[in-house]
Amino acid sequence: MIEGNAVQLGKDEEIQLSKEDTKLFERLASERKAKLAMGTTEDYLKMLDKMRELEKKGEIIIHHVEEEYKPVGVRTLSGREKKIPTVELWQHKSCGQCGHIPGYISALYWIMAELGIPFVDDTNQTSCTAWNYYGSGASNSVALSAVFLRNMHVAWEKNAYPLIHCGTSYGDYKECRYLVVMNEDIRRRVRSILNKIGRDIVIPEELVHYSEWLHVMRQRIAERKKLDLSDVKAAVHPACHTYKLMAEDYTYDENILGGTRPAPTSSIILALGAKLVDYSTWYDCCGFGFRHILTEREIARSFAYFRKIRPVVKETGADVLVTHDTGCVTTLDKSQIVALAHGYKETIPVISDSQLSALAMGAHPFKVCQLQWHLADWKPFLEKMGIDWQKAQGEYKEYLEMIKKGGKPSFIRSPERTLSPRSEGMHDIKIAG
Amino acid sequence: MSSLPVLVIGAGPAGLRAATDLAELNIPVVLVERRKELGGAPIRWKYHSLAPDFTPTEEVLGPMIKFCKNSSNIEVIEEAVVEGYGGSAGDFSVKIRKINGEVQDRKVAAIIVATGFEHFDATVDPRYSYGKAPNVIGINELEVMISEGKVVGHDGKIPKRVAFIFCVGSRDRSTNPWCCTVCCGVSIKQAIELKQLLNDVQIYMIYMDIRTIGLWEKLYWDSMEKYGINYIRGRVGEVFYTGEKLLVKGEDTLVRGPFEVLFDMVVLAVGIEPGEGTKQVASALKLKVNEFGFLAPKIPNIHFDSGKEGIFLAGTCVAPMSVEESIAEGSAAAMQAAKLVSRTKIIV
Amino acid sequence: MSDEEKGKHIVERKYVDDSRIIEPEKLEIGGIDVSGHWGTLVLPRTIEDFDNSMLKKVKSMPRGKNIEKCWQCGNCTAICPVAHAHPEFNPRYLIHIVKMGYSAEVEKLKDTVYFCSGCGLCSSVCPKGVDPQGVMIAMSIAFKSKKGYR
Ligand SMILES: Cc1cc2nc3c(=O)[nH]c(=O)nc-3n(C[C@H](O)[C@H](O)[C@H](O)COP(=O)(O)OP(=O)(O)OC[C@H]3O[C@@H](n4cnc5c(N)ncnc54)[C@H](O)[C@@H]3O)c2cc1C
Ligand code: SF4
Ligand code: SF4
Repeated sequence: MIEGNAVQLGKDEEIQLSKEDTKLFERLASERKAKLAMGTTEDYLKMLDKMRELEKKGEIIIHHVEEEYKPVGVRTLSGREKKIPTVELWQHKSCGQCGHIPGYISALYWIMAELGIPFVDDTNQTSCTAWNYYGSGASNSVALSAVFLRNMHVAWEKNAYPLIHCGTSYGDYKECRYLVVMNEDIRRRVRSILNKIGRDIVIPEELVHYSEWLHVMRQRIAERKKLDLSDVKAAVHPACHTYKLMAEDYTYDENILGGTRPAPTSSIILALGAKLVDYSTWYDCCGFGFRHILTEREIARSFAYFRKIRPVVKETGADVLVTHDTGCVTTLDKSQIVALAHGYKETIPVISDSQLSALAMGAHPFKVCQLQWHLADWKPFLEKMGIDWQKAQGEYKEYLEMIKKGGKPSFIRSPERTLSPRSEGMHDIKIAG
Repeated sequence: MSSLPVLVIGAGPAGLRAATDLAELNIPVVLVERRKELGGAPIRWKYHSLAPDFTPTEEVLGPMIKFCKNSSNIEVIEEAVVEGYGGSAGDFSVKIRKINGEVQDRKVAAIIVATGFEHFDATVDPRYSYGKAPNVIGINELEVMISEGKVVGHDGKIPKRVAFIFCVGSRDRSTNPWCCTVCCGVSIKQAIELKQLLNDVQIYMIYMDIRTIGLWEKLYWDSMEKYGINYIRGRVGEVFYTGEKLLVKGEDTLVRGPFEVLFDMVVLAVGIEPGEGTKQVASALKLKVNEFGFLAPKIPNIHFDSGKEGIFLAGTCVAPMSVEESIAEGSAAAMQAAKLVSRTKIIV
Repeated sequence: MSDEEKGKHIVERKYVDDSRIIEPEKLEIGGIDVSGHWGTLVLPRTIEDFDNSMLKKVKSMPRGKNIEKCWQCGNCTAICPVAHAHPEFNPRYLIHIVKMGYSAEVEKLKDTVYFCSGCGLCSSVCPKGVDPQGVMIAMSIAFKSKKGYR
């Protein structure tokens, strides 16, 4: 659309703009197209500049996406290019993940192991504590920022790049990063907390959600595809916290839905050769949000069913609803049960993009993707993908029996790392400022 | 009379009226029109009839077009634009370039600019799915369908439920902040015509304010009272194509509640904007434009005065307005040009 | 279940219309009891259709014939003595929901039409000649003629 500084407005209308204006125009156009013009792009870009300034002054360390992380560039809503690291990743897990949809994370690890991507599955990670967002009880900005930076420091120390699984952590961290960079007082107070635990302010150059990683890896994943998905109709629910909190930082691509919606997840569905379908409440929350899940379960559950599940099923007849956040998978899946008890008929399996990718690559539906934890009926969907779920179920039962008898469970392990942790105690060095 | 003609740029209602008036005063006119036909927007977009009284477009514009084509005092140059000018009032030299590349240098006594407007391009505002979903059309497209006496969806089906969405690309910070002044009246006129054409159609007008100023108000009253056309106060957040119908998401602010209702057809009351032609003339004649891109008169209350001696403005290139106002402005500009010509004649 | 009992565990219960809450006393799926707290559903409040059947009824009454002239200026409610005393009674609003065919809303508010005292002040100020007092009478008959919509 934009060539040099000439901007094509209509069929035969073109205007010449200064370089700065061209950028602005491009930004506006893409925000408007994605229906997410919140007017905050300038602030976001200013923050990124300020971050570099602080680094120059020695006030903070930036964890850069160096060449050793083999980054791939993507375009964000702001028009700015973002670097997505592809190897040596520090897995920042999600609180709800392991409890509710363990297959989400094991599928992701399995894909990485299959593709030979080294990663760190650290036990030394804390909750971001932003789940309080859902109860109108978010903790204060200093505490939230301190937890954020504490986790980022651990990743930096391990010399691995943080890859954030949880949409809420990802969104919260983007907001915290803004506060820490832009507010001197918060910076000072957070630093004093970090210093008490022998750490300091390390801010990742890019905050990266795992769905962005799957997005840039989609061709490699598709190359390893073992199943034919051409009969599968998939709908996407993008997680609010990934693309609405600091919207300008999430990935968009002109070639994916014309840049009208975030690229990740839709892009992997397309790359795997499934049919991507659209529905009228695409932009709406899954029901988990607007603080309801903790205080207003009835409304959260009803919203998930009446405003998401029903429209998706009635309008599209999709086989599967794919999303990329713990809260969304959980809410959209579990909320169907009560409605089904009431006699409503519409139902659809809900899985993460990592589970869909792993299934397509031939991962075991139960041992790896752990669909046994999902409530909405996934059998017709598996059959459409050509998976013999009865056979797989048999294998899984045998596996459980074997463990019960004292056999060894199998683990997914990271391929050999090439980077070694930064030298111990480095974080004790006082940074000027 | 001075041997030098008056140059009129743009042959819409304003330009045609200006040319006609001058010719009738025996003042020679050069009428330059960028397109291959005279008549401006009403002809280009095949307006069926004109608000407020359903007067056939032909009845209003036909006589002026015919006159301009036939008058020996008017030289019509179609498919041409003015590229530059020099000199001063009473004695301008202008460069006229035809699409085929032909250039002529002409001497003129005065210049009337009546380059009009363009419709707002609704693809710019993605919420309406215009250009993506079928059966989402602009009032300009509906006007053509009404002219042809056949209003059907893309599948050939007659729509049963139609929504008009007002202020598309108007009164909105993210597009154009001004009011286009005629689209309320035009939409209501079309709704009535649609109702006359398709007896059973249910029509819903989704509006923020109804601005049927002056005598145009009658359209509004009649539409409700005689035609049962419904009005919903509110604004539309999204038009979503379900693959079959159009789901319109809006709020009826009078019941303070969101609605999501299926429609067969959605008509967008696309606004008026200065457009490319007016931009072109502004740069060719070095005219001042205001913050919105319309030509800026020296004093906002006196439209014809461009602030440059001998150059006069008329019609929607100055501000959004109706056909009746454009015609009046054409006459007003012609009067200014005639005064100038008669003064120069005395000097000559 | 009484309306007070219904959905009483919903924190913001007072904002939710009774008619939107579905909570059967006994609810189970696959042999598991999900009654009460766990089984409550709250229907969306979205207006999903326009239903002009009630409008047709009102229009067919002698004094309801002008209802379509109403443009929602609120002059009737402004002068209405009952509206000043009774928060639920609003002639303008009743006219609008009937005209537009918001059936759930009409169902909820239809009994308020009987608050009208028949004083006729509204009809004296209405700029469009709707005769709202007459429309209230027409509505009161239309609402009774058959219970609710259809
Ligand atoms: C859908 C719609 C319906 C409408 N219906 C009504 C109605 O019913 N009643 C009513 O009163 N009003 C109506 N209007 C408004 C009406 O169209 C305008 O008021 C009127 O056309 C303005 O006349 P104009 O001469 O100023 O401009 P235009 O009609 O736009 O004419 C300008 C002319 O100048 C030419 N031109 C432009 N740039 C150049 C250039 N650089 N060089 C040479 N030539 C150039 C153009 O090609 C065009 O022929 C309607 C508007 C819309 C959007
Ligand atoms: S809920 Fe969404 S659309 Fe509504 S006001 Fe808030 S941000 Fe805007
Ligand atoms: S005064 Fe008349 S027009 Fe105004 S709201 Fe009441 S009935 Fe309608």
